[in-house]
This record gives sequence, C-alpha cells and structure tokens, in this order.
Amino acid sequence: MIELLLLLTLITFGCRYIFLEPKLPIRLGYKAKHFLSYSAPAVLAAIASPILFMPAGELALHLHNPYIWAAVVAILIMLSTQQMLLTVSLSFIVFIALGQYL
Amino acid sequence: MPNAAYRHSFYKGLIAGLPLSLAVLPWGILAGSLAIEVGLRVSEAIAMSALVFAGAVQLAVLGMLTSGAGLLSILLTSFMISSRHLLYGMAMRPHIAQLSLPWRLSLGFLLTDEMFVLASPKGGQFDRWFALGAGLGFYLSWNLWTLLGIVIGQQLNDLESWGLDFVIAATFIALLIPAIKNSSSLLAALIAALLSVLFSWLQLPGALLLAALIAMALAYLLSPLIDQQASSLVQSEQQADD
Repeated sequence: MIELLLLLTLITFGCRYIFLEPKLPIRLGYKAKHFLSYSAPAVLAAIASPILFMPAGELALHLHNPYIWAAVVAILIMLSTQQMLLTVSLSFIVFIALGQYL
Repeated sequence: MPNAAYRHSFYKGLIAGLPLSLAVLPWGILAGSLAIEVGLRVSEAIAMSALVFAGAVQLAVLGMLTSGAGLLSILLTSFMISSRHLLYGMAMRPHIAQLSLPWRLSLGFLLTDEMFVLASPKGGQFDRWFALGAGLGFYLSWNLWTLLGIVIGQQLNDLESWGLDFVIAATFIALLIPAIKNSSSLLAALIAALLSVLFSWLQLPGALLLAALIAMALAYLLSPLIDQQASSLVQSEQQADD
C-alpha cells in the first residue's frame, strides 16, 4: 500500500511541479492544451456515472433509482447556486429521503 | 517588503482560504472514512492525505481499490485526474519558476484547484506569501478533515449502506458543472458518462480511463464544429503563443 501511496504522490506532485521548474525547456503546445482542457469534465463524469447508474454493480436504469433523482437535484442546485457545500449536503438529504420511498 | 508585510500577506491568504476549507469538510471526512472502509491502516490513511493531498485522486483510488482495479489502471486514472494541474502549473510558471527551490517546491506541492483560484493574480501582482498562506491553510484543514473521517470510519461499519457513495457522485457533479465551459466540454462529459457506464457494465478493464480518453478525443475533434468560439483559456493561450 505504501508503494501505491508513493507512486500517487509522485503523480500528483509531478503534475503540479513540472511546469514550475525553470530548467524544463519544453512547453505544451496549443493542441495538447486544448486536448487536456477536456480532462476535467471527462474524468469527473466517467467517475460519477457508474456510481449513479450502477449502484451495487448492477445496471439500474429505472425510475426507482434514488441515485438518479438525487443527481438531477444536485445538478439543478449547482447550476442555480454555484455552491459546492450546499449542493452536496442538500442532494444528500434528498437522496436519503428518496431511499425511504423508492 | 519588511517582515510585517510578509506576515500580513500570509495571514490574508490563510483567511481567504477558510470558506473553501470548510466546503471540502464532507469530502475530507469521506476520504478518511472510506480509506479505513477499504482496508487501509490508520497510518496509511493519514499518509494518503498528507502525501497525495488531492481529494479527487484519493476518492477515485479508494473507489477503484474497492472494485478491484489493476495498478496500471489506478495510476493512469490518477494521472488523468491530476493532469489539470499541468495547466495550473503552466499558468503559474511566470510567477513561480524564478523563485528559489524551497519556494518552488512548497508552492508546487500546495498547488490545488483552490489555491490556484485564490492565488491567481487578478490584474494585480502575484503574492507568494499570500499563496503560501492560502495553500498551507488548505493543506492543514484537508488533513484535519480526513483525520476526523478516519476516527468516524473506525466507529462505523459499512459506510456504503449510509449512501456515502452518493456523496462522492454529488461532489463530482459539483466540480463538473463549473468545468463545463462550452458545448464541446459538455459533449466530453456526456460521452464519458455514457461510455463509462457501458464499459463498466461490459466489465472492460480500465473502463473509466478508456471512457474518459475516448470522450476527450471526440470532444477535441468535434470542437471546431460545435463550439461558437474557442474557449477563453485556449484563446488567450493562443494569443500568448503568437
């Protein structure tokens, strides 16, 4: 486990530090930057969607899935308020409440 | 600048970081408690936040460990989640690259989404003491929250039945919305979400990573057709290159 943690540290610190190093001569080109600009939306969505649509590892594409409804609530709150803390806590309450009924 | 002015900037940064430090409290608790749930020792769970210091990476790795993903897949996914920091580093390069090695190493280590947003000079000058205060305050609170989560995780069993996996998804949604800046980034998110479910259902190895890479490539290729104009980041970078 400690090996994994050190490798992860190398990755996170490396990504943060590498362009702060003055000896580094290379620069990312325009195309590379453009491609990288999609990493945040793509990676975040790819992590979140199986949690929502496949809770407990089974495909749950039906209206009795509280994850989907609570996620819609989270999207709406975030779009209207831009408040991360509010979005996470309110949608979690909705999720717990829906779990009682669905 | 005299010493008092350095201290003033440092504390100003520390205070500026407080609201964001509070906003990641549930996330930190989750990262700590999940680490215990997944089977990390207390020392390993503490080390994870102290060393890796990246909420999205930590939660994604813990999630992948639960589902039994391979090492290479875990490392590649972590790199992809971290790769946005390459862009932050590039943006901060003109301000930090000429500083001494201890400064570069500390500010580099502390360069999170939050610190980047707070310390980016908005018209004014870059203030390294302000950046250090904001980054260090955020580092301390992140480690405090995960410690809290570790304590909670040891008291409670079976956190998934509490719906905490939904909190991960909700947090990623909260991070995702501001990351969608134009039609092509929306497309990237939608394709990645769809493919990630499809590939997970098919039980492909590296499902998540594969889905994200295909989505990024499609969004990149289609962006000239669907975006009204290049995103402001790309546009300003292009001008800087010219």
